[in-house]
Amino acid sequence: MSREQMLATLRTSLASNRAWLEAEAHKAPHTPPPFVLPPADDLAAQFAAELTKLEGRVYQVADHEEALETVATLLEERKATTAVAWDRAQIGLPGLDKLLAERGVQVLDPVVRDEARKAQLQVLEPAPVCLSGADFAIAESGSLVLYHGPGRPRLASLLAPTHIAVITSDQLVRGLGEAMARLRERYAGRLFDVTSNLTLISGPSRTADIEMTLSLGIHGPPELHVVLVQTP
Amino acid sequence: MATQTLHFHDRVDTALHDETLKTALERATTRFVGNRAGAIDALEDADGLRRQARALRANALSKLDELLARLADQVEARGGKVCWAADGEAARRYIVELARDRGVKSIVKSKSMASEEIHLNHALEHAGFEVVETDLGEYIIQLAGETPSHIIAPAIHKTREQVSALFEKHLGMTPTTEVPPMIRAARTALRQRFLQADMGISGVNFGVAEEGAIAIVENEGNARLSTTVPRIHVAIMGIERIVERFDDLAVMLQVLARSATGQKLSVYTSIISGPARPDEADGPEEFHLVLLDNGRSRILGGQYVESLMCIRCGACLNACPVYQAIGGHAYGGVYSGPIGAILTPLLQPDLPDAYLLPQASSLCGACQEVCPVGIAIPDMLLRLRADAVKAGKAHPVETAGIKSYALMMKNPLVYRAGGRAARLGSRLIGRKGRIRHLPPPLHLWTHGRDFPQPQGSQSFSEWWEERQKKGRTQ
Repeated sequence: MSREQMLATLRTSLASNRAWLEAEAHKAPHTPPPFVLPPADDLAAQFAAELTKLEGRVYQVADHEEALETVATLLEERKATTAVAWDRAQIGLPGLDKLLAERGVQVLDPVVRDEARKAQLQVLEPAPVCLSGADFAIAESGSLVLYHGPGRPRLASLLAPTHIAVITSDQLVRGLGEAMARLRERYAGRLFDVTSNLTLISGPSRTADIEMTLSLGIHGPPELHVVLVQTP
Repeated sequence: MATQTLHFHDRVDTALHDETLKTALERATTRFVGNRAGAIDALEDADGLRRQARALRANALSKLDELLARLADQVEARGGKVCWAADGEAARRYIVELARDRGVKSIVKSKSMASEEIHLNHALEHAGFEVVETDLGEYIIQLAGETPSHIIAPAIHKTREQVSALFEKHLGMTPTTEVPPMIRAARTALRQRFLQADMGISGVNFGVAEEGAIAIVENEGNARLSTTVPRIHVAIMGIERIVERFDDLAVMLQVLARSATGQKLSVYTSIISGPARPDEADGPEEFHLVLLDNGRSRILGGQYVESLMCIRCGACLNACPVYQAIGGHAYGGVYSGPIGAILTPLLQPDLPDAYLLPQASSLCGACQEVCPVGIAIPDMLLRLRADAVKAGKAHPVETAGIKSYALMMKNPLVYRAGGRAARLGSRLIGRKGRIRHLPPPLHLWTHGRDFPQPQGSQSFSEWWEERQKKGRTQ
């Protein structure tokens, strides 16, 4: 059946219930609340507490130098020699490129397209670490909001067993409604002209499918480390 | 699939005698009910958020034609393809032909109720494609050759020993009673399936008309992998699963996660608008959105339109005393629990005993109480029962029973005699305060149900008369 036929069928059906549905639609405001829980004073502390509950790790650091030390330790502990990463300019941590070079961590070519797709996926698969930034961090749910686009591959927050994300405290928002509003502001309604994919991440990959037993890392990273840099 | 060849009452019987299922259901539903209650109670304005969610669903349905057209236009403008599928056959044909045309060999799937509704896996396997379910629960039941028993936790009826045996047989895993090695075995096996796959198929939690996007929620990361790694992504969306604006997601995603699992948000939410852009490093080169009607437009014009507001959170299943006792398989359709008892007769009317499902409810109202969009489920179940009677589907014994009841209620002498007989009878057959078996033909009613034995030696009217007399003498 064609588009027009299906839409015509819908229009005919709607004729009998449209008025009732419209009345139901007017019974509450449509604009989402900026947040849904009683707001906290210290958003960084709230974010850290929430993400910790979800088995994520948060490192609240004072400056870029401390952030680099934290990332260095995490790479060291995992004996990382390769990584799947965003372009360093997109992560927004000055000195990260130098750190990776010094540590001998090779950032793999993230381009997974066309004929080379399957072969390049096998090259990326053994990398122990993913490195990314984020656009916003939601305090009340411990979530990261990241849009993927040029220089921001999706696999850099998905493929490896450890995902390290670097964010700054001015990216913190209270709730999902606030994050949506800020996204709209920043991209002036043209978000999906830039990117085809926006992802919210709230903790490491989890499942309870075997006897309701919580287990981490069934598909996505079992470890999520967020380095939260205090901005002046 | 074997369960579907049995009659509804036999499926219920099987479920009620399955001790493993009973334990699993109790564990799962108790946990889900507690988690949901905690997550809803914590909200600053739970009732306000619920009313908003309902208003947003009603708003979207009230202009469904317009919103679907906008969604499709936007997806196409960004290089995606849209399939308008009036029924399951059209959707299956489109996907099978697409896979053939693109030389696809293997397909990975993330959870999609719509794909189960149209038996997509069967069609794809029949056409020679290898299809792997990648949600852990779905993967387990696919290996076992079974169907989901719960919308959120499809394999809750499987014990860890059963899962270990399946993984030993299919993945060569060393048998274990520990869960972590099973998780690692599944991750390793499925990871290679993802990397080798040519096509990823997903469901859709919400289409967003304004932005021309779809939102998919999950906890495992398999939906992210399915929609990122293979070169083709096919998303199947029931046409009612749409919201008007991007902002609406801020309400819907939160009520969905809180109602389903008690999470504040699911671990991963992917909002996708078309194929990867040319300057992106990864993501699918092709994006296809299948808009599935399959009976939904008929529901939209009828008295059960409210059922289209459902966001598939599963809260009504967990809250339902009948579901807690019989689980998902007994319902026979793809959708189970209270909302399944409505959706199955409407979406799968060809299932021979679908009309019986609305009987599988005590009309206690727990489902409506927990529904994040306040669907009047008990009311609709009653109306569906009436529909079945009008369609001549009532059991002859039931019809005769109702007729004699009417006769009795109109005649005080017969009523009293009947009451006395029933009281005497209930004393004879009650055991430990409960009546589990009534004599034929009433045994049809106690098959799968019991009820408390009436207490006291008098009927209400006898007691009342006595009381009135006493009152007069005092």
